[in-house]
Amino acid sequence: MMHPKTIEDLLREGLPCEHLTVEGDGHHFEAVIVSAEFIGKNRVQRQQRVNAVLKGHFDTGVLHALSMKTLTPEEWSAQRG
Amino acid sequence: MDVQALINEQVTGNPVVLYMKGSPQFPQCGFSARAVQILNACGVNKFFSVNVLENPEIRAGIKDYANWPTIPQLFVNGEFVGGSDIMTEMYQEGELQKLLEGLADAA
Repeated sequence: MMHPKTIEDLLREGLPCEHLTVEGDGHHFEAVIVSAEFIGKNRVQRQQRVNAVLKGHFDTGVLHALSMKTLTPEEWSAQRG
Repeated sequence: MDVQALINEQVTGNPVVLYMKGSPQFPQCGFSARAVQILNACGVNKFFSVNVLENPEIRAGIKDYANWPTIPQLFVNGEFVGGSDIMTEMYQEGELQKLLEGLADAA
């Protein structure tokens, strides 16, 4: 069982984020990740970048259900209108 | 046959392939259920599916094949498309419908 804050800390450490929220019940998590590193990357490449940060936790099975939205800062401000 | 070669044969030999937990009729995970629902909503009712719960070697091997750690995984025409988040986003944007055009009942 993981705390959303643990995932948030891991992500902040491994990926420069302009905005980051992680919510979850300990088993299923939802994250909104805004990073300039996503510029020029497609959806698969963005999630692969995030998954690389969390890889060890997927491998051990502690983390198996993380939904994520991956946005560039520009897409993020457009979405907020 | 080694498992990577087997996966390669499955994804290149079938136009639409979904690696999932359970079967399209009885998905055993919410994310896999959502993936099936989205395919159906795109008009794809017949597709090649692999139940990774019954195939532990594929379950392990598929994570390396596309460098993707989670199930479900969708492949169209041999290309890795994404997991359930990406399928949802692409469906909402109308991109998945385009990608799957002409592939209804493709199994």
